[in-house]
Amino acid sequence: MALDFSIILRFQDALVLGLWMTIKLTLICIVLGCTLGFVVGLARTSRNVLVRAVSSIYVEFFRGTPVLIQLFWIFFCLPLILGVELSNLASGVIALTLYMGAITSETFRASLKSVGPEQRDACVALGLPNRVQITNVILPQAVLRAIPTLLSNCVSLFKESALVSAVGMADLMFVGQNISNNTARPVEVLTVVALIYFAIAFPLTRAVTLVEGRILKKLAI
Amino acid sequence: MNYTFDFQSITFGPLWEGLIVTLELTTAANIIGIVGGFLLALLIMSPVAVVRMPFMLFVEFFRCTPAIVQIVWFFYCVPMLFNVFLGSMTMGILALGFNLMAFNAEAYRAAIQAVPREQIDAGIALGLNPLQRILYIVLPTAFRASIPVLLTNGIVIFQQSALVAIVAVQDLMYQGKTLATETYRPIETFTVVALIYFAVSFPVTQIVGYLERRRQLLMS
Repeated sequence: MALDFSIILRFQDALVLGLWMTIKLTLICIVLGCTLGFVVGLARTSRNVLVRAVSSIYVEFFRGTPVLIQLFWIFFCLPLILGVELSNLASGVIALTLYMGAITSETFRASLKSVGPEQRDACVALGLPNRVQITNVILPQAVLRAIPTLLSNCVSLFKESALVSAVGMADLMFVGQNISNNTARPVEVLTVVALIYFAIAFPLTRAVTLVEGRILKKLAI
Repeated sequence: MNYTFDFQSITFGPLWEGLIVTLELTTAANIIGIVGGFLLALLIMSPVAVVRMPFMLFVEFFRCTPAIVQIVWFFYCVPMLFNVFLGSMTMGILALGFNLMAFNAEAYRAAIQAVPREQIDAGIALGLNPLQRILYIVLPTAFRASIPVLLTNGIVIFQQSALVAIVAVQDLMYQGKTLATETYRPIETFTVVALIYFAVSFPVTQIVGYLERRRQLLMS
């Protein structure tokens, strides 16, 4: 069969709009999700049993079910339960933020744990108050160690964001599928869509490796 | 909120059938992923760049594009490009299997690189040929080290398998969607479907956690 990639140029604008939607969604959810993840990460190490239980259930549930069903649930069920109309973008943001919050909370938790108990002992020996221990000793190291994993969490989120096309949000995947259905040229259109995703995610994964090496060197471990 | 729940209208028959399909997909994809992933790992570690490059591209491509794009691509493009027409189930297995292969190959690679150099030297000293060294020294150690990651990847594929519902494979997600439209009970249906997915993947993640903890104890 003859491939004709020039078809892409005709739909350039639509694809750019779709890509913009994907990027916008990803960026919003990265900011909100990381914040949520940090809070949940702390909550999971809390001394209060109730706080710990609720945050653990949230994380385990969102990590233990497909993102697709989370999206469907939030798109179709949340408006019914809350009794309010949610816009497409709002539902997408809620769903992906909750997903991102769950995966980043694990990252934060692991990195908080990785700061050795000796450091805390040293803080106590130096007579530092609790607040200083956390903000000046534990937190900087924990955040530094979390960065590479957080970056790969962001890449995961970017990839998972393509799922919103299944609930009718006009992101890159949705636009691509529409074009390919209307022009009956799936090979060209879908390949280009895949390549666009690749062109963004691949450099990011390389960056993860680079940053990881740098940080490991800095921490000398 | 004035919504009355009605779990009565959920029929478990189709959901059960869907779960079986989902589990079949997961198992088949995992077999492809575990076996194929190891071969792929050996290929991407090949010292010959010409051999290594295409397979590295394959791995990076599957790791850096959304699974949903891969699945839709498989269903629309493979029949057109290669003129092969396979059943939707086979296509789903292949798409998920290739995806898992790429992720597992990376897991194996990390585990193989973590096999201490001295062990391989010892193999050379004992006069084992390269194949024997791979089979008797590298493979058992690397495989054991990569089990937690392989299990995690396997459970990720179990979750990703919900995506084949989009291309009309009648898995758990698809049956759930149909049931939700038929009964007009999306909340109850999607909640039950989510709980079924959770009930399968949660125990496995707990096992992975246990294996990892035990490993760390053994290592220290």
